[in-house]
Amino acid sequence: MKVSAVRQALLLIALAFVPAIGEAIYFRDKVSWQSPDRSSEMVNLDQAQSWGANAIWVDARPDNEFEQDHVPGAIPLNEDRWNELLPTLLAQWSLEKKIVVYCSSQSCNASREVARRLRDEAGLKDVFVLRGGWDEWLKNRR
Amino acid sequence: MNTNFSRLIGVLALAALVQSAHAELKWEQPSVDLRPGFNDKQAVAHFKYENVGNTPVHFKSVHASCGCTTAQTQNEQVAPGQKGEITATFNIGGRTGTQVKTVTVQTDDPERSGIVLTLKAVITPLLEFQPTLVYWQNGEEPKPKIITAKANKDAAIKKLDVASSTPDFTAKVDAGSAPNEFRISVQPRDTTKAVYATLTIKPDSPANTGNMFAAAARVMPPAPTSGTAITPSTKASVSTARHDLATPAPPPAGSPSQ
Repeated sequence: MKVSAVRQALLLIALAFVPAIGEAIYFRDKVSWQSPDRSSEMVNLDQAQSWGANAIWVDARPDNEFEQDHVPGAIPLNEDRWNELLPTLLAQWSLEKKIVVYCSSQSCNASREVARRLRDEAGLKDVFVLRGGWDEWLKNRR
Repeated sequence: MNTNFSRLIGVLALAALVQSAHAELKWEQPSVDLRPGFNDKQAVAHFKYENVGNTPVHFKSVHASCGCTTAQTQNEQVAPGQKGEITATFNIGGRTGTQVKTVTVQTDDPERSGIVLTLKAVITPLLEFQPTLVYWQNGEEPKPKIITAKANKDAAIKKLDVASSTPDFTAKVDAGSAPNEFRISVQPRDTTKAVYATLTIKPDSPANTGNMFAAAARVMPPAPTSGTAITPSTKASVSTARHDLATPAPPPAGSPSQ
């Protein structure tokens, strides 16, 4: 009886593997095998706040969200108006400053993309993405 | 035995009834690849569907993955045999490279209540710059620095016109080392004062409909003395320097004047 139950369990597991493997192959390109977060580029709110005036805060959210509310002193820089907004940041940047980019939440991608472009296209160093984004800022402001 | 047999027949009949009455949206292409032109402001994907079932399907929600994309259904309800499409409009803005945006559709189709539609747009801009910022440290030798501009090969750009927003920088354009490449040589007149200029770049191409591009050049303010910690008393001067770049920050007390 016990052997039979084990055999049935193994059979069920084996059967479950068949569609799982098929799905993994079919959706190969859609499965994220690696976390998109590079830990070296992420920064916690506490750490970013400890940089004080040495940090430039960059808001990567759409214009309407920035207009509603934003981190005090943050510069808007979203990809909708990249070419128009970038000069403002470049005019304020200096070598000793760290840039903290945020978007709406942990799951949004805009801050990572803006940070990547600042590094790759403008050649800026010390560009970080705020872990948890604007949601995290709000949580700690209350 | 007879009772069991009757039950079995009943279950099978019920299953057949459930099978026969079903709603099913069949999507022509749940993933669409687009290659917008370099003057296009939007990329539009049409996701076509047909209800191949025999009961109506209702859309419960249609959500795009980002604020840059909007999605619209033609109808709230899709009758059996009816065809239609969901239109996803992606606003390109200043985005470049491969952009993947998704639209999540929820229906009351019990077989497949949710589907993720994917819009992939490969955006090749008219011009790409590397880097978009050139800068000189305060007091650095004012040698020219190069911004490389790579032009889209389909744009047939003959030349670039570059203008600096201030007379503190000069810019000269030469042909680059590769086809469709330009070298913008930027030089400051003086590196002893902090200055910032926007370089406006206008490509001369029949394919361009008035697009202008921008890069930036800067002479940095004098660096703070190493070891100077950011304290409440120094915060005010750092903040001032951020907002008044044209005025070099005063040298820290005790440092030699330049």
